[in-house]
Amino acid sequence: MKRITGLLMALMCLVVLGLATVTLSVRADEERIPVYMQVPADWEGPCVWAWDDDGKGAFDAWPGGEADADPANEGWYYCWIPAWANHVIVNGNAGTVQTEEILLDGSAAWITVAEDASFEVSTEALTEGDAPEYVEKFAIHAKVDDSWENPGLWAWSAPDGTNAFEAWPGKAMTAGENGWYTAKAPVWVNSIIINANEGSVQTSDLTIDPAEIWVTVNADGEAEFSYVDPDKASLPDVTIHVSAPADWEAPCLWAWSAPDGTNVFASWPGEALEADESGWLVKTIPGWVNSVIVNGNEGSVQTTDISVETGKDIWLVVTGPEEYEVSYEEIALPEGSASTAESVAEETTAATEAAAETTVAEETVAQADEKSGTNPVPFAVGGVAVLAAAGAGIAAYRKKKSA
Amino acid sequence: MKRKIAWLLATIMILSLSLCGCGNSAAPVSEEEASTITIWHDKEDAVIQVLQKHLEELCPDVTVVLEKKSNLTEALKMVGNNPTAAPDMYFFAHDKIGVYAEMDILQPITEIIPREELDPYMGNTLEAATYEGQIYQLPIYYETLLFLYNRRYMPDDAVPSTTEELYAYMEAKTNGGHYGFVEQHSTPYYAAGWINGFGGSILKEDGTPGLDDESTIAALEYHKKFASLMPGETEYATVNTLFNEGMAHSTIGGPWLIPTVRESGMDVGVAPMPVIDETQTPISPYMGVQGIQVLKLAAERKPQAVEQVLRACMDQQLEIDLALASGCAPAREDCYSEAAIAEDEVVMAMKETAEHAVPMPNRPEMDVMWTVTGNLLTDVNMSGKDVAESAAKAQEEALQLIEAMK
Repeated sequence: MKRITGLLMALMCLVVLGLATVTLSVRADEERIPVYMQVPADWEGPCVWAWDDDGKGAFDAWPGGEADADPANEGWYYCWIPAWANHVIVNGNAGTVQTEEILLDGSAAWITVAEDASFEVSTEALTEGDAPEYVEKFAIHAKVDDSWENPGLWAWSAPDGTNAFEAWPGKAMTAGENGWYTAKAPVWVNSIIINANEGSVQTSDLTIDPAEIWVTVNADGEAEFSYVDPDKASLPDVTIHVSAPADWEAPCLWAWSAPDGTNVFASWPGEALEADESGWLVKTIPGWVNSVIVNGNEGSVQTTDISVETGKDIWLVVTGPEEYEVSYEEIALPEGSASTAESVAEETTAATEAAAETTVAEETVAQADEKSGTNPVPFAVGGVAVLAAAGAGIAAYRKKKSA
Repeated sequence: MKRKIAWLLATIMILSLSLCGCGNSAAPVSEEEASTITIWHDKEDAVIQVLQKHLEELCPDVTVVLEKKSNLTEALKMVGNNPTAAPDMYFFAHDKIGVYAEMDILQPITEIIPREELDPYMGNTLEAATYEGQIYQLPIYYETLLFLYNRRYMPDDAVPSTTEELYAYMEAKTNGGHYGFVEQHSTPYYAAGWINGFGGSILKEDGTPGLDDESTIAALEYHKKFASLMPGETEYATVNTLFNEGMAHSTIGGPWLIPTVRESGMDVGVAPMPVIDETQTPISPYMGVQGIQVLKLAAERKPQAVEQVLRACMDQQLEIDLALASGCAPAREDCYSEAAIAEDEVVMAMKETAEHAVPMPNRPEMDVMWTVTGNLLTDVNMSGKDVAESAAKAQEEALQLIEAMK
C-alpha cells in the first residue's frame, strides 16, 4: 500500500515538473562574498535580499537568503551572496522588518543595523577570522497535524552521523501562508526528522535526497514526502472528448505528462474511449495530462503526439494520423466520426499502407537521427533499388511514437 | 498522398541512376577540378572550423570545400554516382556504409591507403568501418553512451559497479518523484547495451535479426526489472530533463548531454558501465564512428587530391583537435598518450566504455530493425507482454521486412 501511495506521489510530483520549473538564481559554482550583519535583538531569523544593477535577483523569493549566526563572533550573522549582487536589504521576522537598500562594492561587507533600521556599512572587517565556508542549502517543507505545534527540523548526514544543528529538536521551522512550515539544511544532509511540541513528537528517520522536499506528517508521526510541491500537482481531473476517423476501430486514448513521461495508463494502446450521450468518445483523465495520442485498430493507427493544456476539458477532432484540432470549449460533433458511425466498430480495417509508411519511416528516422542523423529510405541491395517496409505493407506500427 | 508520390519519385530516380549508369568516370577532369575536393558533412561549426584549418595547413595544394548538407544520406542516394552533383567525400557516421557499399558508390579506403598504415587505429573503429570485408571509412572519432551520475546524490564511492548494485540503488532511491537511475529503456539504441552485454544482438553480422536468440531474450527478461523502476515514458527529452533537473540520480546518456548538465551547475560524474552480474560483461552500448568516406567517382577522377586529403585526416593532432571539438574520443590509439586526451575525464571514460562497446551495425537491414526492436521493447517494458512470445513475433516480423527489402 505504501509503495502504491509512493508511486502516486511520484506521479503527482513528476507531472508538475513542467509547471514548476526550478529557477535557481544562484548557481552552485559562482563567486560569492560574505555579508555580515548585526541586527536588533528583536529581529529574528535575519535574511538578505540581494540583486544587481539590472534588477536580477540572487534569491527566488522574499525574504531572501537566510543568515546564520557566526559561531566565532557572537552577535554577528553572515550570509553568502553572489559577488555580482551589489544591492542588498537586510530584513528579519520573516521579512516584516527591513533596512532600506544598501549598496555594496562586490566585496565582503559588515552591516550594523540599528533599532530604527538605519544602518552602517563597513568594508573593513569587524569580525575575527573568516566566515564559515559557503554551503549550499535546500528547503524542507512540512505540513503537520494540527496537534503538532512549533514544528522543528532535525537533520544529519548518514552514516557518519554529522548533525546539521547543534541540539535537539534542531531548527525551528517557519510557518508559511499556505499551511507549510519551512526550514533549510545544508546539501550534505541526507536524513531528517520532523518534530514538534518541543521535540516530544516526531517522525521516524526519513532518508532523503538533498533537494527541495515537501513532507506531510499525520498526528501519529507517519510521513510521506515528495520532491515537487503537492499543491501544484493537485489539478482536478478533466474530460477529453474525441471524434476519431470512422475507420479507426475501437479508438483508445494514450495520455501522459511531458517531459517527465508519467503515463496515465499501464500499457499501450491505453484505454478505450467510450461514447457518451452526445456522441463524443470520452474519457476522464488526470488534470496534469499535457500530451495525448488517439489510436485505433489495437494501436496500429495513431495520431502524432498531441499537446494539450493541463486542467482543462478538451474537445479533440481527429481526422488522420497527423490531422487534428484541439478545442477547450465545446464544439459540434463532426459528421462521420467513429463515435457517430456505430457501424464502424464492425469494420475490419487493416492498418493502411499510408499509415504504415508514415509511421515506420518516422520512427526509424527518430531512432537514427538521435545517433547519426541518418534517415532510412529507399536503398539498393544487390544493385536493385527497393522501397523499405512501407511498400510491402506488412509493417503495422504498434507502438507509441517517439516524442 | 504527397508522401507516396515523393517515395515513388525517389525510387524511380534511384532506379534510373542505377540502371542507366549516370556515373561518368571517363569524363575529363580539369586541373582545377582535380585539385578541388568537396566534402559533405553534418557537423557543427566548431568541428568544421578545426578541420578546415588543419586541411589548409596539411594539404595546401588542394582546395577543400566543406559543405554542410541537410539530409545528407538522402542526397547521397540520389547523386552518389553523378559526377556533376556528387561530393568527393563525406564526413559522417559509419552506420550507413552498407547501404552505399551496396549501391557501389564507395571506394574502399584500403585501395588508397595501404591497410598497414591503418594499424594505429583502434580495432573496433576499423571494425565499424568494415562492410563485407572492405574498409570504407577512415575513422576520425567515435562516441559511446556513458554512465553519468549527479554527485550531489550519488557520491563517487556509491557508484554501482554491477547491475545488481545498480538495481539495489534504484530500489533504495526511487521515491517521492526522484529516480535512482533512468534511461531510454524502450529505445533500441539504449537497450542495445543490455542486449549486447548478454551476448545477444539486434542484428547479427550476417544481417539476420537476433531478436529471438536465447541471449537477447535473457537480456530483455533481466532488463525488465530495471525498467519497472523508471517512468513508463522514457523518450529522449524525458530522460534528459529528469537528469538535468535533478530528478534522477544517474542515467546512461551520450557525451552530448554533459555540456548541458554542467551548464545547469551539476557536478556530473562519468563512470564505467556497470558489469552485468549474469554475464560478467559490462553494459555494452553501441559505438558510433564518425569518419571520412570516399566516393568511387572521386577516387577514380581525382586520385592524388583524394589521397592527400585522406592522409591529412590521418594526422594525429588533427584527430585530437577534432575529437575535443566534438566532445568525442579519437579513433587513433596513439592519441591517448597525449595529455590533452589523457586528462579529459569524459574522453577517457568513452575509451574505457569502447573496450566493450559494439559498433552499430552498418548493414542496410538495420534500417528495419529500429522499428521492430522498438515495438518489441514497448511490448515487453510497457505492455507487460511475454518476452519470449514477443521476441519470436518480432523476429518473424523483422525477417519478413528484410525479405521484402530484397
